Amino acid sequence: MKSLKTLVIAAALSFGTMGVVQAQAPAAAPVEAPAATPVATPAPAVTDAAAPATDAAAVPAGDATYVPMKPVPGVGQPVDGGLNFQPQASVLGQKAYGLSHHILLPVITAISLLVLGLLLWVVVRYRASANPEPSKTSHNTIIEVIWTAVPVLILAVIAVPSIRLLAAQYEPPKKDALTVKVTGYQWYWGYAYPDQGIGEYVSKMLTPEQATAAGEPYHLAVDNRMVVPVGQQVKLIITGADVIHSFAVPSFWIKMDAVPGRANETTFTVTKPGVYYGQCSELCGVDHGYMPIAVEALPMDKWKAWVRSRGGNPDGAEAAAPAAAAPAPTGPVPATTEAAPAAVPAAVPAAKN
Amino acid sequence: MTDSKNLRTAMLAGLVAVMMIGLGFAAVPLYNLFCRVTGFNGTTQRYDPAAAAEEPQVLSDTISVRFDANVSPKLPWKFHPERPRDTVSIGARDMAIFIAENNSPHPITGTATFNVTPDQAGKYFTKIQCFCFTEQVLQPGERIRMPVLFFVDPKIKDDVDARDIQEITLSYTFYPVDEGKKAS
Amino acid sequence: MTDIAATAPVHGHDHAHDEHDHVPGFFTRWFLSTNHKDIGTLYLIFAIFAGIIGGVMSGMMRLELAEPGIQYLHGWAQFFDPAAGDTQAKHFWNVLITAHGLIMIFFMVMPAIIGGFGNWFVPLMIGAPDMAFPRMNNVSYWLTTVAFVLLVGSMFVPGGSGLGAGTGWTLYAPLSTSGSVGPAVDMVIFSVHLAGAASILGAINFITTIFNMRAPGMTLHKMPLFVWSVLVTAFLLLLSLPVLAAAITMLLTDRNFGTTFYDATGGGDPVLYQHLFWFFGHPEVYIMVLPGFGIISQVISTFSRKPVFGYLGMAYAMVAIGVVGFIVWAHHMFTVGMSVNLKMYFTAATMVIAVPTGIKIFSWIATMWGGSLSFKTPMLWALGFIFMFTVGGVTGVVLANGGVDTNLHDTYYVVAHFHYVLSLGAVFSLFAGFYYWFPKMSGRMYSEVLGQLHFWIFFIGVNVLFFPQHFLGQQGMPRRYPDYAEAFTYWHHISSIGYAIMAVGMLFFFANIVYAYVAGKKAAANPWGEGATTLEWTLSSPPPFHQFNELPRIA
Repeated sequence: MKSLKTLVIAAALSFGTMGVVQAQAPAAAPVEAPAATPVATPAPAVTDAAAPATDAAAVPAGDATYVPMKPVPGVGQPVDGGLNFQPQASVLGQKAYGLSHHILLPVITAISLLVLGLLLWVVVRYRASANPEPSKTSHNTIIEVIWTAVPVLILAVIAVPSIRLLAAQYEPPKKDALTVKVTGYQWYWGYAYPDQGIGEYVSKMLTPEQATAAGEPYHLAVDNRMVVPVGQQVKLIITGADVIHSFAVPSFWIKMDAVPGRANETTFTVTKPGVYYGQCSELCGVDHGYMPIAVEALPMDKWKAWVRSRGGNPDGAEAAAPAAAAPAPTGPVPATTEAAPAAVPAAVPAAKN
Repeated sequence: MTDSKNLRTAMLAGLVAVMMIGLGFAAVPLYNLFCRVTGFNGTTQRYDPAAAAEEPQVLSDTISVRFDANVSPKLPWKFHPERPRDTVSIGARDMAIFIAENNSPHPITGTATFNVTPDQAGKYFTKIQCFCFTEQVLQPGERIRMPVLFFVDPKIKDDVDARDIQEITLSYTFYPVDEGKKAS
Repeated sequence: MTDIAATAPVHGHDHAHDEHDHVPGFFTRWFLSTNHKDIGTLYLIFAIFAGIIGGVMSGMMRLELAEPGIQYLHGWAQFFDPAAGDTQAKHFWNVLITAHGLIMIFFMVMPAIIGGFGNWFVPLMIGAPDMAFPRMNNVSYWLTTVAFVLLVGSMFVPGGSGLGAGTGWTLYAPLSTSGSVGPAVDMVIFSVHLAGAASILGAINFITTIFNMRAPGMTLHKMPLFVWSVLVTAFLLLLSLPVLAAAITMLLTDRNFGTTFYDATGGGDPVLYQHLFWFFGHPEVYIMVLPGFGIISQVISTFSRKPVFGYLGMAYAMVAIGVVGFIVWAHHMFTVGMSVNLKMYFTAATMVIAVPTGIKIFSWIATMWGGSLSFKTPMLWALGFIFMFTVGGVTGVVLANGGVDTNLHDTYYVVAHFHYVLSLGAVFSLFAGFYYWFPKMSGRMYSEVLGQLHFWIFFIGVNVLFFPQHFLGQQGMPRRYPDYAEAFTYWHHISSIGYAIMAVGMLFFFANIVYAYVAGKKAAANPWGEGATTLEWTLSSPPPFHQFNELPRIA
């Protein structure tokens, strides 16, 4: 447990020194997320409800109980000499693993062994010394129909669960899913929680010394993790800032490209608390191999503590929803133009579709 | 005799190759057209109130629309939506405001790209007015509010792949307009 | 097909008396070559040379990956640029993966299997005196060499973070456009242009030759399966390469002339490049392996002393693979963000390819069934091909499932999959073809002992090399990483040992070539006996400089 304290210090960047991170980020690359830095302006995410909300949040933030979790070997990370998939810690991951491990693997093993067996059989049975006179058979309609039809049937059997899995993976996330904005940069990740008012913070790989100090695997460990609640659906909005990256967490069975100029979304629900690692999975330049991903899943109350430690409002989503619902379709139009008269000449001609 | 036959076959084959090159280039406009028609890649639809025969019907169902804003690292702007999301009635018009601010001491021209997620919502996310692809010049320190007027097409409820969507994300990314690149 | 034989007297044998059979001088013969056999030989020598370079690169990569951490990249990068630091070292890794992929695809497998064996044996097998356009054939060859020089040259010029192009062989925008400044990527693009142009010319040549220059009686349905495979391949080349040419031309203009085809800034879409690339890229994998299918059919039939089982099914299975190969491309882009319907379609369409492929596998086994099998070196490679291609094929079925691919996409599982179908598939068929036809091409017998040693050591080596990569992929090891977390060490280490075993096997290959030319027995016209029924075995070994001056008649 003592080492956890060290870990806290190692990851100290993520707490009180938020400003430092924010100051560094634009220096490295002008990382300006939609939600501005909490230091500079109140998060626009919750503009209407923000003032009271952030005040309320400020109090518990003082006694933030978030302590970065220590990873468990064999969970959310590879195992040396491991043969199989990483244990799946998401609902869809377990489903996909079921298809892969209980249907596809037996089928492909059986087919490979069948072909191997047939090959060995012909090699032994029809070797020249055992069968000096070759037959001249070169057609057999029945057998040809069989080896066309049987694979078709096997594929049809595979296709059903496969299509079902796709349908499940594409089930639209629920309205109350926690939304995390993920941005891929050369060569680190940026995470933001628009509904909680947590502006974008960057997540970079720890050096070997830092990783050892934190008791985490080098190459996978990062300074600021993405933190999500267990059992709550999470929706990721993923984009790339410069080139294409790919956000992947093997133990959630997710991988989604971060394409510059467009947003992609994917979703997962973590079933167990833990630290789950992933790595960038699309060649993105020199440090492609050095921009890992770490997702920490916490029970809801601890996650809320983390949000407060970040200066966010864990109930922001609920707080913002009624406020957001208020502006009627036509209501805000005059308000908009009045609020920023200087912008009108620029904005109106711009609004030409 | 065979020579001319060979030449003919080769010419035909060559023609096929040339046509495939043409198809490769034609893929650019075709792809754009395909995206616009099918909403592929989350390409949004456009709506001209003047040309439309009838106003879309407003349903009692609501849908959440999330606004997402990105800025290219090459553009020293701040850009964010006024609200992170709205809950709107399907078919009803809504206006979202995006705010852009030039933090640099120079006037800069920017232009935005956009899409919606999930992918299959593109066909139903209909914009009436927006700042998409229009070049915006921001003076040093200038801050503008850019409205997007849109509605979610009620036909979304008739599409088995899209009717369960509870939240659509509208995402914009601002890029600098590279004058030097254009000139070269 | 293979059971037909030339019944008419073939006058090519007595070439000493043939006034047309004068061989030109050295320079004219090898630099201005218009003879399909000489061009085929040039292609084979070129492919072996390029294969050595590409193979050494993979050796460098396996050496670096044998242990976690970066051990050698700095030194290698400094060989090219003495001032190279950490960034240049990591960039050099990306240069290696890029060059290895491009060299093995465009300058090893394709030149060997189409340029080499295709040029040598398509005219011989259909009873034609030469290719339809011998000069164009020569142009194709020299374009390929210039392309190769450009590719190797790109490693010496700036490409962004260091010397050389580090974009991956797929050249994805925007990494290959705004992400890589400097002439290296332009040179690579130009190199692919030239190699593509060469292949398109070659494809036109093969199509014309096969359609118009078959000997009397050699109907399409009597053509040996190798000729069928080259014909299908030529059509794939003709239809897919121009699209690649267009796609990379737009890369070039995006890079240099301010267009924005793939640049979101100007309303372009980087995903469009991926669609265009894989519209070419998926047929490309069949371009590499279909002629291999043809070779395997000839070899299996010869050493089973039986005609190929289900000839028509075999021929049209290749046509089917070629056709379906054009409508499955987006399975290479399952994680790019696509709609559920599209993903379901590409999942289903991709799985369909397993059916004609299965027909081929089972037909080869049925060809051997009831045969009288002799296990000469080419037959060993063919047997190895069948099993290894099956293993690579079934992992392809796993990856075809869009929902499963989510986890395996861009991991070592994919690396293992495509090396099983290419490095253990296409390359095994190349070796099968090489040993099968070497006596015919050179007039010398290779050493059976060395050939068998080559096979067994190589077979063990590549399996030790690539099989563990399935485990790495399932554990989540991403592709194109110069370094990895410690938990991936075990299988990476085994994999690197596999490379070393494979490399030892290759020594026997080179030793065998040397042996054949130094001490090899003179090869008979038909060293394989009654199983070898195609027309090339009716000619002397090596065949006369000009063959079939009097066309054979096919019964």
